[in-house]
This record gives sequence, structure tokens and C-alpha cells, in this order.
Amino acid sequence: MAITKSDIEHLCGLSKLNLDDDEIPIYLQQMTDILEMIEQLQSADTDEIIPMAHPLDMHQRLREDTVIDTNDRDIYQKNSLNAEEGFYKVPKVIE
Amino acid sequence: MERFTVKAIQNMLSNKQINSAELFDLYSSRITDYDQTFNAFITNDVEPNVEYITDDKNQESPSDSALTGIPYAAKDIFCTQGIRTTCGSKMLEDFIPPYDATVIKNLKKQGAVLLGKTNMDEFAMGSSNETSYFGSVHNPWDIERTPGGSSGGSAAAVAAGLAPIALGTDTGGSIRQPAAFTGITGLKPTYGRCSRYGMVAFASSLDQAGILALSAEDTAIFLESMAGFDPLDSTSVEESVPQYSQYLEENIRGKIIGLPKEFFDGSLASPYETLIAESIDSYKKLGIVFKEISLPNIGYSVPTYYVVAPAECSSNLARYDGVRFGYRSQNIEDLDEFYRTNRQIGFGEEVKRRIITGTYVLSAGYYDAYYLKAQKVRQLINQDFERAFESVDIILGPTTQTSAFKLGEKVDDPVSMYMNDIYTISSNLAGLPAISHPIGFVEGLPYGLQLIAPHFKEHHLLSLTHQYQKVTDWHQITPKLSMSSESNN
Repeated sequence: MAITKSDIEHLCGLSKLNLDDDEIPIYLQQMTDILEMIEQLQSADTDEIIPMAHPLDMHQRLREDTVIDTNDRDIYQKNSLNAEEGFYKVPKVIE
Repeated sequence: MERFTVKAIQNMLSNKQINSAELFDLYSSRITDYDQTFNAFITNDVEPNVEYITDDKNQESPSDSALTGIPYAAKDIFCTQGIRTTCGSKMLEDFIPPYDATVIKNLKKQGAVLLGKTNMDEFAMGSSNETSYFGSVHNPWDIERTPGGSSGGSAAAVAAGLAPIALGTDTGGSIRQPAAFTGITGLKPTYGRCSRYGMVAFASSLDQAGILALSAEDTAIFLESMAGFDPLDSTSVEESVPQYSQYLEENIRGKIIGLPKEFFDGSLASPYETLIAESIDSYKKLGIVFKEISLPNIGYSVPTYYVVAPAECSSNLARYDGVRFGYRSQNIEDLDEFYRTNRQIGFGEEVKRRIITGTYVLSAGYYDAYYLKAQKVRQLINQDFERAFESVDIILGPTTQTSAFKLGEKVDDPVSMYMNDIYTISSNLAGLPAISHPIGFVEGLPYGLQLIAPHFKEHHLLSLTHQYQKVTDWHQITPKLSMSSESNN
């Protein structure tokens, strides 16, 4: 099924991206080419094949739920342009 | 410009021919003098790690560890405490990590001294270093050509002698392809061999840290300090780390190398085929036995990768919202618009393309047809390798289809750019270690071959490459550097 302009706009919404109007036809063409290349997968016979989730067939390692980190909030917040009194400021969400 | 191997530098330091402060200054001034031409570094004004530096030749080093005083460069994807880490993106242009990546910490503990952070494709997404927000890197063999990507800055820095060795990452070929394009040695270790903690994530089931070096010997010396289990990386593997340099002289006679017929289907141009045939002859003289094998599903590697990698990328890059760190636009009153604008301005084109592709293959109605299907095909590719390694020790193939292409040549055609990784991607999908080493020149440009081993058999890749490098000198041929824009060869 061919991908359309409105698909691109929908995907931009899902992935929280803006594209300029003149970029959309370019992305549309390139996505069409990429999806056509990916379409080759449909010819592989994968009946009864278990999907591969991890290259070494390992399971997620768990650890004890203990406090290990010190509180480095102030250091981490140095990378934000809008941190104040331990909070991050964002546009108003609740009226 | 004379290039020094890590091994040579270790000897120079122990013979007191040079001290570690002079060594640091030597490389810093090379970077200042030459990097305007190559653009291999994003950040090079790094203060030396003084703990391991001495400016007195007669004094012992302040700390005598395995790599004391050895300068190295790191791809700008590794978090470095207090040193800006951009990942080649406007999004992280001003990001100062509060901690070191584990591999950086491991090397620091052994006394290695960071020279700077190297240029790369944005978020490691690219095969030519042209997606970097900080501009393209130029290949030291011909500055009109790409050094490859995404670890293009690391490759160019080592090839040009601006750093003796460098760290890179390899998600689909991002160490091996640039190593091949710049005439150096590049190792992607087994998935889980080196910690991913503090390495900016692109595709977490494929990403692996590795090394770009002048020789297999140097690679072994660095890998044994860098690798190892890390509880902070949940996919790091609890396997002991061999002393790789002690395996370099292991007996390789009688080892069996498989030649997949799918890699040699007549699609390589004849000058490259000739170089591969000559290197196979060199290996035969070293006592290696060759055998034709088949990896029937290997043709699906590129489409499988371009489902799995963008899917993981779209999920990993969701964290860049501009709130806690990263590019932030001002004066936007709507939260959704705030996120969308930050990401529109902070990310480049290729990154956006992959986020959109990944979102598509994971979205409702398409998940089974694309993502699940790709994970099943990935299993088929993995099974091909498992079967092959029942009868051979190592698999050999080209690293790339050609030598380095020109900057700008493929930049508008993503699919043709993606095909660059046709020989390298399968080892990432199966988590296998693989190395690329130089085997000669075509029209003045270096070319490489690739060896692939079973999981955790890096030492065999290193011993084979080392013994090949003892009987050949391709890895020692140095590009002629100029500070002008003239082409070199």
C-alpha cells in the first residue's frame, strides 16, 4: 500500500516532529523508496520462526531494588536552559 | 606525517625518548595544524588528564598503568564528564555530560589520555559523515571524498596521524566501513562485549563500541582495557576478558575460513575482486584453509536492518524533547508545538527520516508486517551464521563494494546510501564480532576486507589480522597530507 501525504503528517504527529510544507513531498518520495526496499522482506519464508529479540539470546538481567545513586539533581539540571528551584519549566499544560 | 602506533608510543615512553606531556602537545599541535582540512574533530580543546601526564623524561609516570600517557580520540557519541558531547547533532550542541561512559572510564583508569571528540554522522545515522551538524569530514587520502561513516572523524584522525588510535561505534558498519575507506584497522566487538553505558543510544540491540587503529596489535592492546562486564548496561555480558595481545601469535595454521558465495556473486568490480583474491593467497601462505559456504538469507540484511534500526531509533530518540537537556526553542506557548519545534530544529534530515520510518513500522496495523517480520528474518540470518560456524572458524568477505566515494555523491538518495552497508550489517544483526583491515589500493584509494567470527572470538580476528599484517605493509602506507585543498594520493 502506497504511503500518502496524510500518512507522513500523521507520522509526524506520532513522533512529535514538524516538517515544512515543501519538505513533505521530499520525505514522501524518500519514504516510498525506503518502504519499497523494505518490502523485499515479504518474500522470506518465516513460518514457525521465532522472532529474534536479542543477539545473544539473553534475558533481561535484574538487580536488587536498592538505592545506589546519590542525588545529583543540580548537576543534571545544569543542562537545562529553563530549570528553576529544582523544577523544569515548560509551556502551561493545565489552565 | 609520521604515524606512531600505540605499541611504538609505549616503547618511546619507556625508553624516555619522549614524555607524556610532549606526546600530548605533539598530537594537539597536529590537530591544530591539520584539522581545518579534515574536520575530524568536533571538540579538540580538551585539558589533558594530568593524573597520567609527566613533563619530566627522567621521572616515572605519576601512575603506571597499561596505557599510561597514551593519547586517544573518542567519537563524540561517548559521554565525557565535563566535556561537551554532541553526537554530531544540533540537538546536543551544548550538552555537557555529568558522567563518563564506562568505556571512557575504563580507559581513564588505565591511564589513556583523551585528545578530543571526533566528528560523526548525526546520532551515528549515516555512512559518509555528511549528516553531521558540524560539517562533513574529509578523507585524508583524497579530501574530496568521504572517510565513510558514521565514525568518519575517528577514521580520518587515525589515518592522518592526528591520533594514534580512536574509539568508534558500529551499529551497521560504522567502524568497519570508515576503516576500509581510510586504510586502517577497525574492530566491532561482540554485542555486549563493551559497555553501552554512557554511549548515546541509536539502536540498542545493534550498537557496539569498538576501535579504529593502525594495526591489529594496537586494537588488542586497547580492547583488553576497554572491554568487560558492566552492571550499568543491562545487555553487557558477564564473560571474562581475554588478554587479547597474548593471542596475537597464536597458531593459525589449519584454521578454516569460509567464503560465502553470496558475498562473491560477481557484483564486486574486478580491481576489488583482485585485491581480495591476493589477500586470500596471503592467508593461504599463512596456512589458512578456505572453503565455500552459503548464507542463504544474507540478502535480506539491508531491509531487515532498515526496519529494526529505525524502529529502535524512533523509540530511543523520543527522549529529546528539549525540556531536561538538548535544543530548546523559546516563546512557544503550546506544549505539543514546543516538542515538535524543538525536534524539528534540533534534528537533521536523516535523523527525522529514520524517526518517521521507525514510527511507521511500529505503528498500529504495520507492526506485524514490518517489525515482527524483520525480527523473524533477523533470526533466519542468525541461523545462517550458526550453521556456517559449524564448519568454519571465520568468515571472510569484502567490507565495502568500492573504495571511498565522493562527498555529495549519494547524499540525496537514502536507499543507495543504505546499500553501502550491504556486507557489514549482517554481523550487527547477529551480534557477531568483525574486523576490517586494509588489503591494498585502487586508484590511490585504500580498500579493506572483513573477517567475521563467532561470538566472543575477537582474539581470532586479531591474531589472523596481526599475522597478515606481519607479512604485508598495506596498513603502514601513509597518506600524504597537505594543508591546502589539493587532492592527495
